[in-house]
Amino acid sequence: MSIIHPVQSVVSSENEQVIYTVVKNMLLAYKKSEAKDSSYQLVGKWIDDTAIGGDNQEGTNNEGIKKAKSNEGTAVSKNGQGSNMSTPSTHAYIRNLTLSKNEDRLFACTDSDKAIIILDIDFENMENCLNLVKRQRFPKRPNAIAISNDEKTIMIADKFGDVYSMDVDAPVVEKINDEVEPILGHVSMLTDILFKESKNGKRFIITADRDEHIKISHFPQSFIVDKWLFGHKEFVSSINAPQWKCNLLLSAGGDDSVFFWDWESGKLLSEFNYAELVKPYLTEQHAAPSRFQNEANDVVEYAVSKVVSLENLPYVAFFIEATNVLFILSADLENNTLTLKAKIDLPGNVVSLSACKDAFILSLDNRDLGNSNFVKFIKFNNETNDFSIDEPLSSQLDSVLVDSLKTNDSATVESNEIYPLYNVTSLKKHGEHYS
Amino acid sequence: MKTGPLSQDPGSKRYAYRVNKEENRKELKHVKIDESTVTSTKGKKMDLPKKKFYRQRAHSNPFSDHQLEYPSCPGDMNWGKLYPYYYNDETKEMTKKVTIADIGCGFGGLLVDLSPEFPENLMLGMEIRVQVTNYVEDRIIALRNNHIGKYQNVNVIRGNAMKFLPNFFEKAQLEKMFFCFPDPHFKQRKHKARIITDTLLSEYAYVLKEGGVVYTITDVEDLHNWMVKHLTEHPLFERLNEEWETTDKCVSIMRNATEEGKKVARKQGAKYVACFKRLPDPTII
Repeated sequence: MSIIHPVQSVVSSENEQVIYTVVKNMLLAYKKSEAKDSSYQLVGKWIDDTAIGGDNQEGTNNEGIKKAKSNEGTAVSKNGQGSNMSTPSTHAYIRNLTLSKNEDRLFACTDSDKAIIILDIDFENMENCLNLVKRQRFPKRPNAIAISNDEKTIMIADKFGDVYSMDVDAPVVEKINDEVEPILGHVSMLTDILFKESKNGKRFIITADRDEHIKISHFPQSFIVDKWLFGHKEFVSSINAPQWKCNLLLSAGGDDSVFFWDWESGKLLSEFNYAELVKPYLTEQHAAPSRFQNEANDVVEYAVSKVVSLENLPYVAFFIEATNVLFILSADLENNTLTLKAKIDLPGNVVSLSACKDAFILSLDNRDLGNSNFVKFIKFNNETNDFSIDEPLSSQLDSVLVDSLKTNDSATVESNEIYPLYNVTSLKKHGEHYS
Repeated sequence: MKTGPLSQDPGSKRYAYRVNKEENRKELKHVKIDESTVTSTKGKKMDLPKKKFYRQRAHSNPFSDHQLEYPSCPGDMNWGKLYPYYYNDETKEMTKKVTIADIGCGFGGLLVDLSPEFPENLMLGMEIRVQVTNYVEDRIIALRNNHIGKYQNVNVIRGNAMKFLPNFFEKAQLEKMFFCFPDPHFKQRKHKARIITDTLLSEYAYVLKEGGVVYTITDVEDLHNWMVKHLTEHPLFERLNEEWETTDKCVSIMRNATEEGKKVARKQGAKYVACFKRLPDPTII
């Protein structure tokens, strides 16, 4: 039976009026009118129709493609980092959907041609509010992006450990391999990147990698490393800088804890250990691969996929890959601790998580849920002093999603054709190379 | 029939040698060798290890997930195990910190020659190849045993300096870093695997103190040009001139001491040297 492909990621405008989603290789924008009780409508769509490898991209020089390919094929796939990844390059993923602060631009990465895309958002255009204004290919697949506060510079962290800086409005560089040098790098796959300003107005880039490192470099003097934040014992998959105070940082990944840092002083403020909390939610999907399994067959592997924070309220949310629960933590800014605030059970595994001013928005692996439960809004209720799913809003968006996609050939798939939705836990290192 | 490597064949001489040495290492690696321990072994001189038993392929992929041991941060490093002479049992603190690092130290020739020249400095060799690291360990064990009180300021760890250097050293801890005859990685697409790259230089600059020196030597002219280009272009390094090179004793030791250096000399090949000073950080903008 064919189903509508699950939503791979979702971000919202500040007030949830506009929702941007990724479904397979499509970007879709849904907007509510100003009128009260109005429903979402599809207002924008962009499809990545670039063939895998980017071969049909206009104006790209062939030499560049060949070089990029041979780079990827040899240097990356042979080493442990490459071969471990379950993320196939055969899918035209759109990753790292990011909305600019004044909500007039969308940034994302396309796997098909390892590019950064920039789209203008113009609601005056009634046919399609999304308009691609720039598509810049990079030598290696971008894994994470960060936008500078003035939104003029975009920092790209790639699979090979390098960070590139790109002027948002500059023309596309055709021979990217020859002309652009990384501004900083790790000798490890980069998983996340943030741009931060300290309280005395200095700018920094914070990068996280598949080893245990979080590195803080100055910007634009990125050749000056400020410090490393040491504490993780496993890979870091996600970092987040809460808006409540400028020195705070959250990080998580293959460790059993969410780490809470003062990145300016380099101090680990506290850790929130979730090992016991997550146990009831682990399934056979979390069993370690057979070659790392023990005799009792009880080695489990799991990892935090994403950690985010609300802009206005001191709450943090995170989820463990391939589980159907969202954990919400309350941040005590006096004592710098994180405590469990809520545990939200969900009808399907969480696939993506983002936060806006006062709601967490997540998308679910709903392949067995009959074209429902695509997206959930989770909000804080002042009366109950607790978090809960905003079911009316969620189901409203669901039905609009279904309406807009049920006749879309590209969005409907057989359930075995779904893009791989789980590729974080496989970042775990097993140290298989002894010599 | 395909036979396994000699090192895994229990019947081979190499296997027996390695097992013997491994036991020896376990016992003596972290021992503070002094008069008392020597009298207990009846002052017997130990044989220096034989290189032929430690052969290993020359290359190691720095991007691989090797089985490595490294501290989670510099403060967690147990330096006392490597330099027992400089560990104060009462204060539980080291009396000195490592200030000289030999990155990719190979068979340890440079360390052994630097040791008496810099008795006030602790020196660490980092080597990614297991057997080569074992050789250096055995060499240091034997030297410490045969020359009481000497060679206490050098040691080696198996590690990937490209990934984990900041796990070992604090900001501005090092005075000298040596890069002697590094793997040239000739192919263009392997250039990121080179030990000197723009992005790694920023990390070396972090662990080097102001005025600290990066020493490079290679017999591959292309690699030399590459290292000079990248170090020269990096805002935190400045090349030291030839006059400085001729007066610096490390340069002459580096030219003549390392096994690679000796090999090149035997073949009468060229050796290219370049040294760079760590400049102060510019004003943060």
